[in-house]
Amino acid sequence: MLNIIACYKWVLDEQDIKINPGNLALDTSRAKRKISEYDRNAIEEAVIQAGECGATVASLTFGDSTAKQSLKDALSRGPEKAYWVNDNAAQTADGFVTANVLAAALRKIDKYDIILCGEGSADSYGQQVGPRIGALLGIPAITFVSELKIEGTKVIATRKIGDCTEVATAEFPVVVTLLPEINKPRIPSLKQVLGAAKKPVTEWKASDLGLGAEDLSPVNKIKEIKGFVMSRKNVLYKEGTPAEKVAGLVASLTKEGVL
Amino acid sequence: MAGIWIYSEDTVVAQQLMTMGRPLADQLGQPLCVMTIYEQDAPEFVAAGANKVFVLKGNSAWPESYAPAVAALAAKESPTALFIGATLRGKDLAAKVAARLKTGLVTDAFAIRFENGEIETDRVMYGGLAICTEILQGIGVVTIPPRTFEMPNKDTSLTGDIVLVDAGVDSTMVVGNVCPIVRLGADITKAERLVCVGRGLGKQEDMKLAQELAAGLGAEIGCTRSIAEDYHWLPNETYIGLSGQKVKPVLYLSIGVSGQVQHVAGIRDSKIIVAIDSNENAPIFAAADYGIVGDLYQIVPLLTEAVKNQR
Ligand SMILES: Cc1cc2nc3c(=O)[nH]c(=O)nc-3n(C[C@H](O)[C@H](O)[C@H](O)COP(=O)(O)OP(=O)(O)OC[C@H]3O[C@@H](n4cnc5c(N)ncnc54)[C@H](O)[C@@H]3O)c2cc1C
Ligand SMILES: Nc1ncnc2c1ncn2[C@@H]1O[C@H](COP(=O)(O)O)[C@@H](O)[C@H]1O
Repeated sequence: MLNIIACYKWVLDEQDIKINPGNLALDTSRAKRKISEYDRNAIEEAVIQAGECGATVASLTFGDSTAKQSLKDALSRGPEKAYWVNDNAAQTADGFVTANVLAAALRKIDKYDIILCGEGSADSYGQQVGPRIGALLGIPAITFVSELKIEGTKVIATRKIGDCTEVATAEFPVVVTLLPEINKPRIPSLKQVLGAAKKPVTEWKASDLGLGAEDLSPVNKIKEIKGFVMSRKNVLYKEGTPAEKVAGLVASLTKEGVL
Repeated sequence: MAGIWIYSEDTVVAQQLMTMGRPLADQLGQPLCVMTIYEQDAPEFVAAGANKVFVLKGNSAWPESYAPAVAALAAKESPTALFIGATLRGKDLAAKVAARLKTGLVTDAFAIRFENGEIETDRVMYGGLAICTEILQGIGVVTIPPRTFEMPNKDTSLTGDIVLVDAGVDSTMVVGNVCPIVRLGADITKAERLVCVGRGLGKQEDMKLAQELAAGLGAEIGCTRSIAEDYHWLPNETYIGLSGQKVKPVLYLSIGVSGQVQHVAGIRDSKIIVAIDSNENAPIFAAADYGIVGDLYQIVPLLTEAVKNQR
């Protein structure tokens, strides 16, 4: 039986992050977390493909203790089991560290035919962890895929890369990173949410995977992370009839000299 | 040997990166080297100021398959930093190269500085909400979007070495059916005026409203990622934002766009931002100079009329 593994990242919801106007520091204290948007497509695609070819689906995440909350959410989306590398190294991890950890976890899982990732994570959007995993495991990685077919022992993937599309074919095992247009992730039903609690979770520390300090230390030094502020005029026409609002806007734009 | 190294499968983008790389190499007192998979383009890189051009000669026409060759050459020559054009092909290759070199990768850097003897990069985080400044360590691999820098001047009297390198290519994938996506509209990154449509449009026929307004304004039409990828109403290269195009028109006018941070990340350099949306609390209004809170089906036809009368 085929084994499909969907990788997801448990990220801060950027909509809840506030910027301190004084020093531009980020305030994440009230930010909730979520499964990174496009990783929901990765989980969904794993489940859809498995439904067609009878594969088993597992989810895999590397996060700190806050990622415990993510397991039920991920499992309610259809995977049969979850793997969780629970380690504080996730708090400072860059693409180098994350790929080291996920590749080591995959080696430990041992049975994997198709590894699905999102096109990029919602927080760092490095667009690198998927292809890095492929390089570390010495297997092909097909990126930016908008359509996926499994045939026998290979995947046939349509890539969308800017001004062109192309079809890439590779034998298992293979990493595939998905564009969000590939499917529409489900909204789990109450039954699926309740069922998720009964599904098995395997938890590891990075040390259980034979990883040392060197594998877990980010390469580049972060000098600072600062909020991006944009000051705009914020003139809003909200009262009056539509014609009045339009007249107000047209007058403003004429004054700006852009009409 | 050190050096500032540049690679892109797109020769124009590689030259744009040279505009950033030349002064950086000079500040470091190191050579500027370019890797290319096209032997015929090597003299052009020399004329643009490359001290050395490595031509990777392999038997594959698929750019991504050169990742092992780029990594092997970089491992041998140890550049100080390797800058790669952030096309989607370039990002794929850069990640595979960085993994092989066991090093970091800064994706989509928009600024590069040499400070206190170190190379610093700026990139956005959290969908565009924040800027992250990093100091490169090891062989720093960095991708930089096309058009971030202008083309360099050419001087055919410049000299540089051209070195042919046998390239081992990745043959684990077979790639075929390469079909160019036909560019339907104009290049929105160069547009002076843009009308941007979002999911506030109820159906594809309603694009007509946007087209009429755009015609009245003399504007091109752009869209959100949802319109291009979920609805397929417009081609992918017309969506604006973090993962799409960065635009800098004199006038950007959105209709039915909520203005999530990932979209706003692409419009920040616009001179005047105007938004029309029925939801007063839509984040687009915080990013706009002028806004109308209202139903686009009422507002847009009136605005189109008014604009026509103005001109
Ligand atoms: C990693 C990542 C990268 C992304 N990159 C991009 C990117 O590059 N570009 C991009 O655009 N998005 C990007 N997104 C998606 C982004 O987060 C938003 O989901 C998307 O921009 C929303 O598109 P929209 O505004 O068309 O739709 P919606 O958010 O659904 O907004 C529709 C708007 O229309 C309004 N509306 C509805 N009816 C009417 C009416 N009758 N009259 C007036 N207004 C009406 C609503 O009030 C609403 O504000 C990215 C997301 C992630 C996670
Ligand atoms: N910590 C993580 N745990 C599991 N998967 C991850 C993690 N970080 C990134 N990924 C996967 O790699 C993809 C690309 O991430 P990135 O390179 O950060 O943009 C994501 O869409 C996920 O599928």
